Amino acid sequence: MKGGLPGLSLAESGSNHLRSGLLLWYGLLWTWLAIAPVNRRDWLLENLLAFALVVLLVLTYRRFQFSDVSYGLIACFMTLHAVGAHYTYAEVPFGFWLKDLLLLSRNPFDRIVHFAFGALLVYPVREWFMRLAGVRGVWSYYLPVSAILAQSGLFEIIESVVAAFVSPELGNAYLGTQGDEWDAQKDMAAALGGAALAMALTFVMSKSTRGVTSRTT
Amino acid sequence: MWSRDKFLLMGLLLWYVALSVWTAQSPTDPQFWLISSILPAAFVVGLIATHRVFPLSHASYTLITLFLTLHAIGAHYTYAQVPVGQWMDQLFHLGRNHFDRIVHFSFGFLLAYPMEELFRLSTGVRGWLLYYLPVMTVLGLSGLWEIIESWVASTLHPELGITYLGSQGDIWDAQKDIAAALYGALLCVTILAAVRAVRGTLLPTRVQPVVLDSST
Repeated sequence: MKGGLPGLSLAESGSNHLRSGLLLWYGLLWTWLAIAPVNRRDWLLENLLAFALVVLLVLTYRRFQFSDVSYGLIACFMTLHAVGAHYTYAEVPFGFWLKDLLLLSRNPFDRIVHFAFGALLVYPVREWFMRLAGVRGVWSYYLPVSAILAQSGLFEIIESVVAAFVSPELGNAYLGTQGDEWDAQKDMAAALGGAALAMALTFVMSKSTRGVTSRTT
Repeated sequence: MWSRDKFLLMGLLLWYVALSVWTAQSPTDPQFWLISSILPAAFVVGLIATHRVFPLSHASYTLITLFLTLHAIGAHYTYAQVPVGQWMDQLFHLGRNHFDRIVHFSFGFLLAYPMEELFRLSTGVRGWLLYYLPVMTVLGLSGLWEIIESWVASTLHPELGITYLGSQGDIWDAQKDIAAALYGALLCVTILAAVRAVRGTLLPTRVQPVVLDSST
């Protein structure tokens, strides 16, 4: 890899305090929410992928470190997911509160987390593409969005397979379709919207910071 | 006038235009035909417009034409009523017309190679990522297609809901469609990697200077 590696200076100067803090926060929250989840089996099902992601991040830490910003974003998403898994997404109290406030017909918490999946994780994905694959220019904004969309599609496939294997009533809780026939499409659209928005924001911010640095140097 | 390699491209274009004109004659559902012809038309115009700046290989153009041909047939008959699909349904007792599923599979199988070529020549990505990116893109675009399909269905025919043409009443239709495209793309890149391994050239180096890079 040659040339300026975006985020690498941040990663190198990244504070271990922040990272241990994030891990500690997630560990404590996760343990607390693991004590008495609303539905134990659904909780376990929801956590399989979360386990995998955390283990992957810890195992690859020596070989590939994200920037502090990315770790913060990932921790945010994992926090939301841990809350959703604890209450089984369709019954998160905050979602019910939103539903009453905005007069919605359903608990919107899972849709929010799908949006958050795109909005929060697209930046770490971009960092990964740029530093590991050397992706540059327009592609560095397009490919992460495409990856998020693909991952969302894969989610929906996995969910439907799980629903077919596991008992139907748990399948429904896990899926959180809440009886909406277009649920899968709306979930994917939410993730896509979040990812596109975050990339637009990243683009604007990188333009403005580049302007600042070029002016100061 | 044309150099020899232009013959194939003109032939492909001519074939597709002729097919489009032919399938435009009294389609089963004119509204469906119109809606599902917008994206392919834009795609073909885009391919022609970018041909000088970013020419794809003949193999890619041929694969794209094959896919567009399948789609044109599906659009003419409205996917759920394509005769070949009905014939297969009767022959194998499938319970539904599987033509649309086949075309979803073809989307991945036929278009993964052109995508690989695009990524190989324009992103500078190397190694296994070159096989991962097309699969990812097929998966993402399939998801986008299902999203668009759901918007079209709920805007034009809200009363039909999930029984609208695309899904034929199956609640898992969207997931199965995306999965079919994924399998197609996986099969394509597997074949590609195998062929390259046999030939001993794991990854061809840049044959053409990349025009896109210098222009940006």
